[in-house]
Amino acid sequence: MKDDNEELGALREAVRDFLADKSPESAVRATMETGYDPAVWEQLARQLRLTGLVLPDDHGGDGFGLTELEVVLEEMGAALLVSPFFGTVVLAAQALLASADKAACARYLPGIADGRTTATLAVAEASGSWDAATVETRAERVKGDGPAGTEGGSPPCPEDAAEGWALTGKKSFVIDGSTADLILVAARTAAGLALFAVDRGAPGLHAGPMTALDPTRPLSVLTFDRVPALLVGGEGQGGALIGQVLDIACAGLAAEQAGGARRCLEMAAGYARTRFQFGRAIGSFQAVKHKCADMLARVELAEAAAREAARLADEAAAAFPVSAATAHITCSQAYMFAAAENIQVHGGIGFTWEHPAHLYFRRAKSSELLFGGPAAYHERLLARLGI
Amino acid sequence: MPEDARSFARQAREFLDAHATRASGTQFRWGEGDDTVAYFSADPEDVRDAKLRAAKAWQRTRYENGFGWISGPPEYGGRGLTPVHELTYNGIESEYDVPDTGTLSVIGLGMIGPTILAHGQQAAKDRYLPALYRGDIIACQLFSEPEAGSDLASLRTRAVADGAEWVLEGQKVWTSIAQHSQIGMALCRTDMDAPKHKGITAFLVDMSAPGVEVRPLRQMTGASDFNEVFLTGVRVPDDHRLGEVNGGWRVALTTLMNERATVGGARTGGVAESLTPDRFSALMRATGALDDRALRAELSGLLADMLATEHLNDRAARALQAGMTPGPERSVAKLMHGQNLTRAAHFVSRVLGPRIIADTGEWGTYAWAELLLATPALRILGGTEEVMKNILAERVLGLPKEPGTDATSPFRELPRSGRGTS
Repeated sequence: MKDDNEELGALREAVRDFLADKSPESAVRATMETGYDPAVWEQLARQLRLTGLVLPDDHGGDGFGLTELEVVLEEMGAALLVSPFFGTVVLAAQALLASADKAACARYLPGIADGRTTATLAVAEASGSWDAATVETRAERVKGDGPAGTEGGSPPCPEDAAEGWALTGKKSFVIDGSTADLILVAARTAAGLALFAVDRGAPGLHAGPMTALDPTRPLSVLTFDRVPALLVGGEGQGGALIGQVLDIACAGLAAEQAGGARRCLEMAAGYARTRFQFGRAIGSFQAVKHKCADMLARVELAEAAAREAARLADEAAAAFPVSAATAHITCSQAYMFAAAENIQVHGGIGFTWEHPAHLYFRRAKSSELLFGGPAAYHERLLARLGI
Repeated sequence: MPEDARSFARQAREFLDAHATRASGTQFRWGEGDDTVAYFSADPEDVRDAKLRAAKAWQRTRYENGFGWISGPPEYGGRGLTPVHELTYNGIESEYDVPDTGTLSVIGLGMIGPTILAHGQQAAKDRYLPALYRGDIIACQLFSEPEAGSDLASLRTRAVADGAEWVLEGQKVWTSIAQHSQIGMALCRTDMDAPKHKGITAFLVDMSAPGVEVRPLRQMTGASDFNEVFLTGVRVPDDHRLGEVNGGWRVALTTLMNERATVGGARTGGVAESLTPDRFSALMRATGALDDRALRAELSGLLADMLATEHLNDRAARALQAGMTPGPERSVAKLMHGQNLTRAAHFVSRVLGPRIIADTGEWGTYAWAELLLATPALRILGGTEEVMKNILAERVLGLPKEPGTDATSPFRELPRSGRGTS
């Protein structure tokens, strides 16, 4: 589906060209083994200004909306870019903005905007659920020096010196958990759930990478043993905050999924046009043709859903939460369908390690389940519809 | 919105405020009002006739105030504007309580009127265009035949020249509105030896002419929304021919291009009002199924697809209004529409359980049987799913056409069902 206007089209082209050059399949395969390329990250942040795209001007950003971010995420999803972008820009930065904690935003957003700080959000624990009620990691007040050891982070502010927090618990499925400079953590205080900021080198923090289905999205287990942390936002605010961020995260993920689904469709149709069997292009057989048409229908639907959610977010429309949940479902299904059918159209070669189809299959499946999958996303939509 | 569009919108609203009342938007309440859920009309004949009279009267009011044919030429009572203005007007009118003019407009005004304008001779244009758009007469489509459905070009109703007239002989099927129509657009075989696409001619037929017999066709739901039309020795003057002799396929394409545009919009039929989150959840509450996890998951999946399809339609409409050329959105929306309604009907059946098998008398239960029985049509009418998918794959994805389909042999030699050739 075409972009709404020329400016969005131009943005898309710029990002696509950059990724074709800096993140072709060979780069994806390399970085999925070794970790993201810091040089590419720097260019993405400084030259393309993507890390600050939707951050407010007064924190070093360019003040664009989710509509623009959605286009960027579609292209990143299509290219399977291995990068801390989703964790930093969609999860962490949005959580900071949602907290409305001016000090925290002033402390961390400028670094995120210019790419100096990578970040992530750690909510899920052993079960992988993003349901706030399942959080057991706890936060206790500590008197005295406040948080010590801020390697790789920003200098501590005077106002927190008197009293800080210590986190104890375990987070799982943390995106970029082993590399993020800043980790925002959902933990439980006596007053309820809250969000905390932890620096990468903090004492008592141990990060271990998880072997994952999708090597293009590094996941880690983080163990906290009285790790010093700064409160972000208010105590007891965490539940609502996570709900809000989840809506945006689902919309952002939907954009990646729509882009990935479109790329799978393009691969499948391209193959169907050029692969000959029985004396003709396999795409001239109706079974294959219809399969591709089914993929096209799902991809068009996914793009419409993801783009509409972004548009409604920018309008601060009451309909946004429903549209974000809708996009999450539609795009999860479309991507999984397209990724699987792409392999099917390719036949045997689609099943090989060397063919990129399985990389999309892995990303599609992981994305489908990242925020709980059907068991969670159906109830999420119904809840937002009031059913 | 550009200035002329803004001023047009204002005029449309002034007209509507003067001639209609705003829709009340009553809140749905379980157990109240009519529980009918029908895709096709389930009205008794007298109700249908009354609705038709009201529709014609409303169309006349529109026409007399310059809103009857917004994109049509002024010499026939049109307003000379663009399809974008049509869309704008439709959007504003939907906020008002007005008679549903679908019976007139979907086929007659949306498809056949533009075809007469593009291909009709002067006498026919003068005689029929103002009458159509004023709502005085209704037009129907005489295209499909028992042996020419998806393969419309293999039609075999004959038109043989006799002096200044043509004599028509054959049978048409799936003609909606035929029983209310004054004219019909008929595609006929005029050359048995040319390749099938090259031996067709289009005509305007007076439905009251001798030899025209309209027979209701009883459909799966029990009602008759469609007809068979038998043409036995029907005489049609040559000035009622549309387009060139043997040039009828081109004329048909004009008509068909408009058909794809009309079937698939989000608000087709009053059934859209019955397929809302509120209505579904009320049904589940009433049947004690609201906590059923499996049904809830099924509902969510269905609603996600319906909402996404709505988004697709809205974005396509906005793109059109912004002057962008349409992509495959309409065709995709038509595909999704059929699938969504089918899925909705089966979902409701699962919620209702035995209550869909027989009428227990409870409000809002067996009423769904009507929709269930109508849904198979949605994957077939206006272009079957399979044909739509071929079109999407070939025209959008560039996949090659099916090899071996014969479009060049003389029509007479083409194989038919049940026997060899003609």
